[in-house]
Amino acid sequence: MTTLTRPAVSVRGAVKSYNGLRVLDDIDFIARTGEVTAIIGPSGSGKSTLLRAINHLEPLDSGFVTVDGELIGVRLYRGRLRELSERAILRQRSRIGFVFQNFNLFPHLSVLANLVEAPVVTQGVPRAEAAARARELLARVGLADKADAYPRQLSGGQQQRVAIARALALRPRLLLFDEPTSALDPELVGEVLAVLRDLAASGTTMVVVTHEIGFARDVADHVVFLDAGRVVEQGPPAEVLVSPREERTREFLGKLI
Amino acid sequence: MTPISPPSAPPAAAEDELSPTLASKKVVPLRHPWRWVAGAVALVVLAQAAHALVTNPAFQWDAFGYWFFRPVVLEGLVLTLELTGLAAVFGLLGGIVLALMRLSRNPVLRAVSWGYVWIFRSIPLIVLLLFLANVTALYSTLSLGIPFGPSFVEFSANDLLSFFVVAVLGLSLNEAAYAAEIVRSGIISVDQGQLEAASALGLPKWRQYRRIILPQATRAIIPSYANQLIGLLKGTSVVYITSLLELFGVVQTQASTNSGQIIPLLMVGTVWYVILTSLLSVVQYYVERHFSRGALRTVPPTPFQRFRARLRAVGVAR
Amino acid sequence: MPRLARIPVVVVAVALAGGVSACGSTETPAAAAVDANGNQVVTVAANTDFTKPVQITVPKVDAIRAKVPKAILDRGRLVIGSGALPNGSPPLNYIGVDQRTLTGVEIDLSRLVAGVFGLTADEQNASWQNMFVRIQSGQFDVGFSNITVTEERKNQGYDFASYRQDNLGFEVNRNSTWNFDGNYQSLAGKTVAVDTGTNQEKILVEWQTKLRAEGKALEIRNFADRNSTYLALASGRVDAYLYPNPSIAHHALQTANTPNPTRSGGTYSGAGATLQGLIAATTKKGNGLAEPLAEAIDYLIEHGQYAQVLAAYGLKDEAVAKSEVNPAGLPVTNS
Repeated sequence: MTTLTRPAVSVRGAVKSYNGLRVLDDIDFIARTGEVTAIIGPSGSGKSTLLRAINHLEPLDSGFVTVDGELIGVRLYRGRLRELSERAILRQRSRIGFVFQNFNLFPHLSVLANLVEAPVVTQGVPRAEAAARARELLARVGLADKADAYPRQLSGGQQQRVAIARALALRPRLLLFDEPTSALDPELVGEVLAVLRDLAASGTTMVVVTHEIGFARDVADHVVFLDAGRVVEQGPPAEVLVSPREERTREFLGKLI
Repeated sequence: MTPISPPSAPPAAAEDELSPTLASKKVVPLRHPWRWVAGAVALVVLAQAAHALVTNPAFQWDAFGYWFFRPVVLEGLVLTLELTGLAAVFGLLGGIVLALMRLSRNPVLRAVSWGYVWIFRSIPLIVLLLFLANVTALYSTLSLGIPFGPSFVEFSANDLLSFFVVAVLGLSLNEAAYAAEIVRSGIISVDQGQLEAASALGLPKWRQYRRIILPQATRAIIPSYANQLIGLLKGTSVVYITSLLELFGVVQTQASTNSGQIIPLLMVGTVWYVILTSLLSVVQYYVERHFSRGALRTVPPTPFQRFRARLRAVGVAR
Repeated sequence: MPRLARIPVVVVAVALAGGVSACGSTETPAAAAVDANGNQVVTVAANTDFTKPVQITVPKVDAIRAKVPKAILDRGRLVIGSGALPNGSPPLNYIGVDQRTLTGVEIDLSRLVAGVFGLTADEQNASWQNMFVRIQSGQFDVGFSNITVTEERKNQGYDFASYRQDNLGFEVNRNSTWNFDGNYQSLAGKTVAVDTGTNQEKILVEWQTKLRAEGKALEIRNFADRNSTYLALASGRVDAYLYPNPSIAHHALQTANTPNPTRSGGTYSGAGATLQGLIAATTKKGNGLAEPLAEAIDYLIEHGQYAQVLAAYGLKDEAVAKSEVNPAGLPVTNS
């Protein structure tokens, strides 16, 4: 099927420096529609920066990102890429879901209000309709009874599931996950991964930065291994994670197991 | 051979006493007799202070009673409330604008905001008020128009700047400088991730601030701003320099006319201030409680809810 | 328990009720009227609790009026500044017993002067500092506020038309045994309060220097305002308070029936040992008002109104025989 292999995200020649340090050093990579792409690598390898560049939370110094063929955060004008207005960028982001390591739920709003806010404000969805959809999503992540709770009354795993539901509320064409289980106690990791597996099974396009090699092996369609701002190796998990070609990848995987 | 008993009591004897029936009884908590003593001493000292206050003839409580509801005193009180209220509102609005300017990415706005706070925290309020009250002598007309260009409307400065307007203006300008820092500290106390999450959801910039950042910042702002407000309430007394007499000014003036009653008049002012700050404290408590939603796992009960729960516990009310 | 929950609401209601009733006050009518001959009739010493009101008639004197600057005549009002905020100085200038209206011998005399000019008196109360700023900026035509003529003030840009002796006095507690005998040496070892920025402070500092040279001490204390000073006197933190003599008798009268009565402990000239201090109507230098002011005061002295107003306040001893424009004042250095 050709639609399944169309690139949802395409990153070309991405470069980003902080104070002279190249965090992203000429990165090319593709994530395909309907697939789960896992980005792995040691800390400081640029994984999170790359993920944040996809929805322009992190503007690139050079290179560009497209989502479903549309340039993100920039436009082509007289042969150069120019940054879009703040408004236009925000509009593009409203169709790209982003799940943070630290959940970043709004603590002063109830769980339901956390989910309803963005669809009503950015997409003009009527409040009642947004609320009904929010309750469906909460049921889907197993938190139907927590609609009126406040985030700090929930466990870490529950908060991260709410954060996923909040990202889904915008009906995104793409979901980005930034180490979604790293801030969780070990016994809570499973419930969040179960939600991710469920989403993957339903054909949601996802890019996941993760340390959970087991999850990447079982769920991902494509694995990208980053080190020092460069793509060292990428391919199906059976290749990259089981029999890697590169010494650097083997070394990294050896440390984890 | 008689068995040699160990020098201390055998542990077996103690074990015997710990019978199953004992295990089921409640443990008697440690008594704290010194807490009772300290409480009693504090009450005696308080009673003594109250007695000294009531019986000392210097306080002239009959004069206090005469002055407490005098129309001039109440007019001063109203002026105090008006000045405090207006300066608090304008000062806070100005402070929010200044704080946002200071946090913006525009270096000019940042510098202007920094400069404003620097200069208005440096100028003594009394000098600022004296200057504003006499600015009419320096600029007899004020005009609206293009900067350095033609003007469309002209006002006589004396008509526009009544003493009351001067006082509100001076207090607000001064208050805004302090409020700016309080608001800024509140905003930077909100986790950076909140702005990121809001902007990842595509919320418009103003909505990010109004709906996500300010409500959370408010929680950190309230205690400091309540302090600032109470300072302002009493600080309004400097407006006498612009020929306005608020509560303390009235008390001072009347005391200078009736110099035998200085202490009771000062007490009148004090008691009114106590009443006003008490009201502010009550309001602060409830506003703080409102904005603590979500910040605490459970919102604490109000003093009245707590009191009723106590009564219910001893069976007085249901 | 619903009644308990209502307590803060009740307190709010009381505060609001106070606010509402305070809005219903009315302005006190002016103390001047015009009689059938077109002369102003000024009621002096009204609004006091220690003396009787007196009605004094003042005719408009065209010869003097002609010398008043045209801008003021066109306005029809003489703007008179008083520096009695927030603390007044009874019986000179202060808020009277109606608790609202500016009262006192300074104000009443200024009304009579306005009457000679044929102008309406517009008395405005300000803080002491603001009064001087407003005289300088022309917002006040003249200050009548127990202002002493000093050479320093002349240098700062003021003209003067004198109208009363400036006599200082020492106020002490009634049970004090100390009296000022006119010689600074009687102050050795004493603690004396004085208002900052006044000529009496200048005098006191010089005495202190002289006493130090003789190896003796004189402690000087400044308080924020007159109320605080009276409290310090009553509590025994200061032995005496040096300030304008007219206020001393008045304050002694007011404290007579309180727990801390006071008395006068001796007087002194406000311009030092060799010069009689003078109180003067004060204008901005060169605004042309000092001359007509002096003539108006002389007119009131000659025709008896001046004596009447001083008598009404019991201040006959402070009278001058003639008004002078820019008389010699307390020297810049009085040594």
